[in-house]
Amino acid sequence: MARTKKRIDGDLPKANLTPMIDVTFQLIIFFLLVNNIVSAESVSMLVPKLYDPKVVELGEVKRLVISIVPAEDPESRKTAADALMVSGDAIKVQLGSSLVYDIGNLDDLVAQLKESVARDPEIQVLMRADAATYYDRVQPVLAAITSAGIKTVNLVAFLPDEGPENLIAK
Amino acid sequence: MSQIPGQPTPSSTPASAISAASTAGGPQQETVHHHPRKAKKKSTSTNMELNMTSMIDVVFQLLIYFIITSNFVPGEGIIQATMPAGTGSAAEVPKLEQPIKIIVSARSGRTGTGYRLDVDKSAIAPSTFGDLGKLLEGMREDKGGAFSAENPIVIQPSGDVRWQHVVNAFNAAVKARYKNIAFAQATGGEGG
Repeated sequence: MARTKKRIDGDLPKANLTPMIDVTFQLIIFFLLVNNIVSAESVSMLVPKLYDPKVVELGEVKRLVISIVPAEDPESRKTAADALMVSGDAIKVQLGSSLVYDIGNLDDLVAQLKESVARDPEIQVLMRADAATYYDRVQPVLAAITSAGIKTVNLVAFLPDEGPENLIAK
Repeated sequence: MSQIPGQPTPSSTPASAISAASTAGGPQQETVHHHPRKAKKKSTSTNMELNMTSMIDVVFQLLIYFIITSNFVPGEGIIQATMPAGTGSAAEVPKLEQPIKIIVSARSGRTGTGYRLDVDKSAIAPSTFGDLGKLLEGMREDKGGAFSAENPIVIQPSGDVRWQHVVNAFNAAVKARYKNIAFAQATGGEGG
């Protein structure tokens, strides 16, 4: 009797919020970091989506990512009826997360690739290009990779059942 | 409130009594060494507390912002391609073997998205990449064809064809289990 009466006119029951705040801060930090890492590493684009793909996941290996930066923003195409229905032009080539080269002059890219491969011969070279890119924009990059003495290049495409449905996959 | 003013405790020492007499010249009010009941109760009910509500509000706003803005990259995989030794791959192919050339051309130039396929060692032109895969598989020796799995395949796209279709043709050749696939220089479609 005495206890109930005291609760009504006195203190309200209080939830201990400390663990919830801990968890919430962890989540915030997680999303912050993931956002930054992902956006620095990969140029935004829609890589090819293939018919019956023989695409495999590349495990945890040292990799050198060459991205052909598309002229058109890929975000607007995710909802379009046909994701390829854009200009397939490309102006720049990005190596890793920071080095940018002009697609018309890839001599520096060749030199940089040679240096990277000499430093680590085991490194895997990945080439990312947007699905809509014209082949004559991709071919100079393939030629640059070849002339840097790299024997195998990994072409990046969507894994089975990934990527937007409006990319033609027939 | 329970203190009795003006009444020194009986435990006061003679020394303190002397100093009190020299400074104030009267009976000194001493500290009461027992805690009165009311005062104790007051101190526990007003202990310090941080108001967390506003901070949690802000934190949740931040959390929701980052959840919404972070778009996870859909799973990307790789197909391994062996590059020819030189830039112009067709010239590097040994003369003894006849490379199978897959010609990929754009259906309506740079503005379109379609493709057209042709295989130079076959009378039939496949219309889809599924057909191309089946055709290439049928051309292998162990399937009654004339070509070994080591026979080179050259993918010959025109300059205006989309990369998607080039990789699809490559994928079809990989699926037909050919081991030696190369990309050729772009033909036509230049300067548009």
